Amino acid sequence: MRIVIIGNSAASTAAIETIRAYDTKSSITQLSRETHPLYSRCLISYYIAGKLDKNGLRYRSPDFHMKMDVKLNLGCFVSEVDPSSHKVKCADGSTYPFDKLLISTGSSAKIPDTIPGGLRGVFVLRTIDDAESIRRRMPQVKSVVILGGGLVGMRAADALSRCGLKVHVIIGSDRILSRMIDYDAAQVVGKRVRENNIEIMTGTDISEVMHKNGEVVGVKTDHSRVLDCEMLIVAKSVKANTELVQNTDIKIRRGIETNASMQTNYENIYAAGDVAETFDLAAEEYTVNALWTCAVQQGRIAGKNMAGKQAQYSGSVSMNSLNFWGIPLTSFGITTPEEETSYTILKENRPERNIYKKIVIGNNRIKGLILVGEAANAGVLFSLIQNKIDVSPFTGELLDDRFNFGKVIQHGGNAVLEKYYRGQST
Amino acid sequence: MKRVYCIIEKCLSCRSCEIACAVAHSESKALADAVVEHPLPKHRIHVESIGAEETPQTIRSIALQCRHCEDPLCAQACISGGISRNRETGEIINDPDRCVACWSCIMVCPFGVIVRYEDCHRAVKCDHCADRGSPACVESCPTHALLFCEAEEAPIDNLVK
Repeated sequence: MRIVIIGNSAASTAAIETIRAYDTKSSITQLSRETHPLYSRCLISYYIAGKLDKNGLRYRSPDFHMKMDVKLNLGCFVSEVDPSSHKVKCADGSTYPFDKLLISTGSSAKIPDTIPGGLRGVFVLRTIDDAESIRRRMPQVKSVVILGGGLVGMRAADALSRCGLKVHVIIGSDRILSRMIDYDAAQVVGKRVRENNIEIMTGTDISEVMHKNGEVVGVKTDHSRVLDCEMLIVAKSVKANTELVQNTDIKIRRGIETNASMQTNYENIYAAGDVAETFDLAAEEYTVNALWTCAVQQGRIAGKNMAGKQAQYSGSVSMNSLNFWGIPLTSFGITTPEEETSYTILKENRPERNIYKKIVIGNNRIKGLILVGEAANAGVLFSLIQNKIDVSPFTGELLDDRFNFGKVIQHGGNAVLEKYYRGQST
Repeated sequence: MKRVYCIIEKCLSCRSCEIACAVAHSESKALADAVVEHPLPKHRIHVESIGAEETPQTIRSIALQCRHCEDPLCAQACISGGISRNRETGEIINDPDRCVACWSCIMVCPFGVIVRYEDCHRAVKCDHCADRGSPACVESCPTHALLFCEAEEAPIDNLVK
């Protein structure tokens, strides 16, 4: 069997490892538009900050593709997938026939219309090439403006402030990390962020980018504030890289539609990672959860099915873990429900100790949570979300600092204990 | 693969295993010196209450540690690739040099047995005392509540009765 995999990051790596666990015979050809060998995208801000060198970014050992017997073609941009003739076509004219195909092309930064193209000093932060360009520019930069206060924007802010730059973050909503955390949590984290030479400006947007001789020199906000800067990083939102299937009848909504086997509407074409739309367990709707762990899990499911075995994806959950200058921050699922009345919300707010906890409960199940200041046992709570455990017998204990897996054993009894003894994590 | 199994009936919640674990992962490997080390060593076994039976005198507890899972969620969540399975032993290993302290592994561990070692800027968990040969916790347990054995040898059916 000929397997073709497009993309070279979390989902594709997990798929390769899983396929090879069951099938050592099929040929695997992997096509990556990037020219760099496999690296971890999540670490590129650490590279900017100088905390990791290029070697530190590698996600698997350098001989990974050789050991997995994968033919990896770097710098290969797939322009088109043809589901009926079972071929992918690349921009350089080459074609690759497949029996099974995995599309794991990831996502890209969306650039708002207010940002003119072609200016020197304007960057996105998605790839190692982006990180290198940013690093090359840094010697001539004193101030940087980051548009967007999500995960990528805040990671960039963290890295660049560590390099001694003055950082402004321009955020459209009322807080940082608005897709992950609520207002109160953002205040706790935001205080630590501000202490580190980062200015956060909420409820505003860039109305104009000022430039001179083709270089960015500043931005004007829609509150008419002018910020001088020699660098602008655009990290507002991302879009799934679906262009290669745009002219096919492969179904796309926010991402490529997938079923529980990670198949598209063609049974021999799979999609996984940031490009795929999956069922969200907490929100109970189809969406794109463009997150590392979700991509790995989807890649594993796709890989197992591609190898001819059975595996079903129970669904994705938004999940994030960050460490902001020593303040751990974890969030899962629905953290700021629109209709609060249909949920029970447990809260503990101790900003003086940088601690904030919130658990959102609906229908006796945990639907989402925020933990700031303490990460311990976050996974225990996460497993309660994933396994849809009725928490009504111990709701009162969930916020307790001493809540741990012992409580789950206490309430779940021998079935839980047996899974623990046998090392069954799911 | 061998794992550590705790016989709940025998666990006194004395936390001898926690101390032995911390010492085994200290610089000095001696309790008297380990207690004054900077940073303090961290234990990777965690004694937790699982509730009282009828009276508070019969509080039941269990010593929890990494299960080196069949399907390790920590390794799936690890953004640096630092958590992986040792092909020879089957154990899940956590390379300290590759840990970036993002706590993604803690975010997904259903048993809560990976902890922050903030002083060393990394996450730590049970490694079966890899550089020691056998787990210190098991040797330290005064009631022999801890076993280190293959799943087939572990009295799991009795343990969950």
